Amino acid sequence: MRGVFAQLCNTEMMPYDAYLTLRSLDAGYGRTRVLEGVDLSIGKGEFVALLGASGCGKTTLLRTIAGFALPSAGSICVGDRDLTRLPPDKRGMAMVFQSYALWPHMTAARNIGYGLRLKGWRREAIAARVAEMEALLGLEGLGGRKPSELSGGQRQRVALGRALAVDPDILLLDEPLSNLDARIRLTVRHEIRALQQRLGITTIHVTHDREEAMVMADRIVILNKGRIAQLGTPQAIYTRPASAFVAAFMGAENVVQLNATCSANRVDIAEGPHNRAASLTLGLPAPRSGRLEARFRSEQLQLSRLGDEATDDTSCVELIGRVEAVVYPGGQWRHTVRIGKGSVLVDAAEALPPGSDVLVRVPTSGLFLFAAPADTPSGPPSAADGPSPVRDRLTA
Amino acid sequence: MARLLGPLLVSPALIVILLLFMVPLAASVIGAFEVEGTVGLGNFTKAYDFYRQDIVFTAVIVGLSTMLTGLLAIAIGGYLTLGENAAAVAILRWLYRWPMFIPFIVVGQILRTFLAKSGLFNSTLVALGFLDPLTATSYLDWRGVVVAFVWKQTPFVALMVAGAMASLDRGTIEAARNLGASRLRILIEIVVPQVTTTLLVGLVLSFVTMMGVLSVPLMINAQAPTMITADIAFRLSTYRDYGVANALGLISLAISAVAAWFYLRVNMRQSR
Repeated sequence: MRGVFAQLCNTEMMPYDAYLTLRSLDAGYGRTRVLEGVDLSIGKGEFVALLGASGCGKTTLLRTIAGFALPSAGSICVGDRDLTRLPPDKRGMAMVFQSYALWPHMTAARNIGYGLRLKGWRREAIAARVAEMEALLGLEGLGGRKPSELSGGQRQRVALGRALAVDPDILLLDEPLSNLDARIRLTVRHEIRALQQRLGITTIHVTHDREEAMVMADRIVILNKGRIAQLGTPQAIYTRPASAFVAAFMGAENVVQLNATCSANRVDIAEGPHNRAASLTLGLPAPRSGRLEARFRSEQLQLSRLGDEATDDTSCVELIGRVEAVVYPGGQWRHTVRIGKGSVLVDAAEALPPGSDVLVRVPTSGLFLFAAPADTPSGPPSAADGPSPVRDRLTA
Repeated sequence: MARLLGPLLVSPALIVILLLFMVPLAASVIGAFEVEGTVGLGNFTKAYDFYRQDIVFTAVIVGLSTMLTGLLAIAIGGYLTLGENAAAVAILRWLYRWPMFIPFIVVGQILRTFLAKSGLFNSTLVALGFLDPLTATSYLDWRGVVVAFVWKQTPFVALMVAGAMASLDRGTIEAARNLGASRLRILIEIVVPQVTTTLLVGLVLSFVTMMGVLSVPLMINAQAPTMITADIAFRLSTYRDYGVANALGLISLAISAVAAWFYLRVNMRQSR
């Protein structure tokens, strides 16, 4: 028996040394295609989060990897073993379900030990392993209880114990935290991450919660309409979103349209009705010249009364607008600033009253520029794809 | 006024139940203990002396039928829930409910022609070469009764059980598959334990229904031993012996009560 603790030595392995490899995976239900051409490789011991809005195909991708759905094209390999057509139990993967799917008629200990019973382990060996799992997950003394007698967090740990007891090569987590209340969720996040690091087990985690993916995963896969929109470390995705969709999904919900001339990594923004001219030098290649969609988060902006600004600063984008509303969500004041036909959210240390004409400065580091889609001259093009406080505010 | 309105609205239903159910039941119970004008156990001793064998026969036949019904219902429900061949599942789903809509007397009629010595069942076996025509026997005895009961009651229990199985969290099935459980193990260890209550309700209702069927034993198994229902009918139509008939009725009620008690016990244990 290869104990989970024996895997501790694997934690230091190279994260990008491909272990699980998906090649041009297509999947769907009936005639609906849910996944299209997904390519992904995951290193041994790596924690990867599949992040996306509901309906983006993340759960389908996880179920296809697990073997509960068969791909219509493409392949799934672990090492040099092709698993594409293997049944779920022959893949060396164990899944934790969103509903936990504990068997209500069995005690916690029987739930955890069931996989070992299926493998024909002797009773004493099962009991020892279950005790090991209970100790690992802080479930000591709860083994004799039925799932209905456990709290949400304890059930979640029993589900995790059931998956880990069989010592899988890969652990699959399908939104395992979504049924917990908000406060417990925060601690369980860290518990799962710490456990994963201790065991060094390759883990794929499906979630729609950006922050959860950020704090738990080594790498994040952002899915949009069945395709991978971006793949990278949390920091890379947060600071260098590859598309307007990813930028919006990672919290850059504020959007304005600008005209600019671009070359290499220089962007010269033309003066517009609601913005001043600016010359920016970006840390990455600039989009092509023409109409641009500029996205930014509500944090790290400078907000000042129009005319009060300290100096002209052409190295940031300066937007001119009027405060429509101001609220205090904690920490900073959140202003809704109308700019032309749209509005943006701006956090600032001091509140400016509604009706004030203001200048919003967006520093280059927090600015994401993309070529504006041709058919939507105004408004956020991907606003419908992700959660948007601005949109909620406008439609309220 | 409003306080009177409630009881007033309920009273028609209450009166119907009292007059058409409670009063005849009470009359039967009292009648069972009436022996030539005095109270006594004479009807019961007579029923026991004459029909002891039939009472045991009834309990065994109905018990066996209930067990087989349960097994078949689990098999059908299990296939509908776990079956992977979509076409086979669809055909089974369409097919299995039909016997529910056929009355017991028609079931008896069908099986009489099917299971007789020269019936379709035997002639098929003979044609296929599995049976020598000279050794062919009729199945119109206890076996015929069991077949009729099971055939008629399985769809009803299967309908209930399949519904309960369909509403289970699919995750509980997939989690077991994920860990390597075969479909049979999933059915026995994961699915059935989660639908026990529904299964038992269906089986107890079937048991009580089968206890009261007269047409099937009359048509398929008119020889001795037969079922209590046939004896009651015989006591009434031939001898006008209401006392013994009532006593036999009470005995079948007692047998049904055992099934109900068993159900309640399991139900209480589950909810604890």
